[in-house]
Amino acid sequence: MSENSRISNTTSRQAASPPDYVWEYEYYDYEPVSFEGLKAHRYSIVIGFWVGLAVFVIFMFFILTLLTKTGAPHQENPEPSGKHHCMNSFAVDFRRSQESDKVLSRQVVEESRSLFHCYINEVEHLGTAKLDSKASGLKHSSLHTGETLGDNKLDEEMNLAKFNIPNFVSSEQSSTLGDDDLLLCEQPITLNNNADDSSASNPKTSSQNPQLRSQTPHGLF
Amino acid sequence: MMDNSTHVTVNTTDCEAVEIPHEIFFAIAMVSLTENLLVVVAVIKNKNLHSPMYCFICSLSIFNMTASVSKTWENIMIVFSKMGHLYSRGELAMKMDDVMDGLVCMSFLGSIFSLLAIAVDRYITVFHALRYHTIMTMKRVAAILAGIWIFCAASGVLMAIFSHYTIIMTCFIVLFLISLALIMFLYVHMFLLARTHARKIASLPGNTDHQKHNMKGAITLAILFGVFIACWSPFFFHLLLIMICPLNPYCECYRSLFQVNVILLMCNSLIDPFIYAFRSVELRSTFRKMFCCSGDIFCHAIQCLQLNSNIRLQ
Repeated sequence: MSENSRISNTTSRQAASPPDYVWEYEYYDYEPVSFEGLKAHRYSIVIGFWVGLAVFVIFMFFILTLLTKTGAPHQENPEPSGKHHCMNSFAVDFRRSQESDKVLSRQVVEESRSLFHCYINEVEHLGTAKLDSKASGLKHSSLHTGETLGDNKLDEEMNLAKFNIPNFVSSEQSSTLGDDDLLLCEQPITLNNNADDSSASNPKTSSQNPQLRSQTPHGLF
Repeated sequence: MMDNSTHVTVNTTDCEAVEIPHEIFFAIAMVSLTENLLVVVAVIKNKNLHSPMYCFICSLSIFNMTASVSKTWENIMIVFSKMGHLYSRGELAMKMDDVMDGLVCMSFLGSIFSLLAIAVDRYITVFHALRYHTIMTMKRVAAILAGIWIFCAASGVLMAIFSHYTIIMTCFIVLFLISLALIMFLYVHMFLLARTHARKIASLPGNTDHQKHNMKGAITLAILFGVFIACWSPFFFHLLLIMICPLNPYCECYRSLFQVNVILLMCNSLIDPFIYAFRSVELRSTFRKMFCCSGDIFCHAIQCLQLNSNIRLQ
């Protein structure tokens, strides 16, 4: 802000001379403030402000870490009746499950299959199925492909998940990118070059980058 | 405060203004200027970085550069006047002072709006990923940036001329608080979505610990907010206290730390490239190419940094 006093205090005490322009940092010149009879420490506002600021930042950090550990409060589950319906009317195709499912318990596979079929139908009807709580129990990658059906928002979210899947499954490096580098680095370029200059030096890749960028989100966290 | 003889009746419990040496001002301003200039040059040179996100980061860097330049200029003026080289002719000095104040206001407002634009851009990227390129066309980006620049320039001029009126200060503070609230809302919403995605992806076979990734995201967010709040709010609290309690001794003691608050603002210009621009691998590789002549020591240093950051990613 403006930091130069128009009239300095010293020159104001010299009567009759035009005020010299003094370059200072304190812009606002008020009458001398009386410091007598202070009850609290004179820097109490300063200390209070900085302590409050530190507490606020730490509190915010704790809130964020708590959010990482607890469940999402914003999960919008499908109607309980629909869920019940899905749970009750699952198909018994689990015997044809793939090899990757053998590590799972039968119950989870049953549930995943039933919910998979159910959601295909539900999403067409409701259009806004949120699959957060179900996804945690589901271990089949094809379910994510199935989840791309639905309205635009769901579509976009699932496409985000779909485009994230190769990152997290194919190589260890991309799997460690996670949220952190997703939100800070530009994703398609980190995908394309393990060496750093391949995207810029390779004209083909760089021309493909806008395409990729149109499909995948910018790296954020 | 340069003038030590401000109060004729000096009270022993007076809060003397904390002075920060000019060298520190200059050092911080120079480093911040260099960094932001590097960012701007890198974004202009590399065609891959001509995307909306980098345009906003470039705008932020330009505003930070303007802030550093104007603060440095003001500091130089003060040094000259202290050494007696500057003849304090009232009108010219006041006009220069007005220009610098206007520039400083413009750059501070511009920094805040650029940060807000970056947050909105990231938000659209996350929540409207498929429509991103129809929502954020380069024409719209140019329009947004032009709007931000024009608004900040006009506000800078207004604030410099009419800074005596409390309404201007109130508007400044209210703008800051609104921007802060918006930035926090956008980032927290994005963070919640990222956490949801991480949980979904964690259900896939072969995943790594998604808790660790969420923690990284939380730390990143905390750094973003923490730096913004720690650097900007002391200054705005100063403005608030000037309006609310100009004669209160406690407020006077807070206001005596004005130079510290200004240093914090300049530190924000210094830190912003690290938390926004330098996080991008593409930008870092552009730097490497810019400095890399074969066999150069600087080139080797940057290559080492790149290697370390790649190892860290793995």
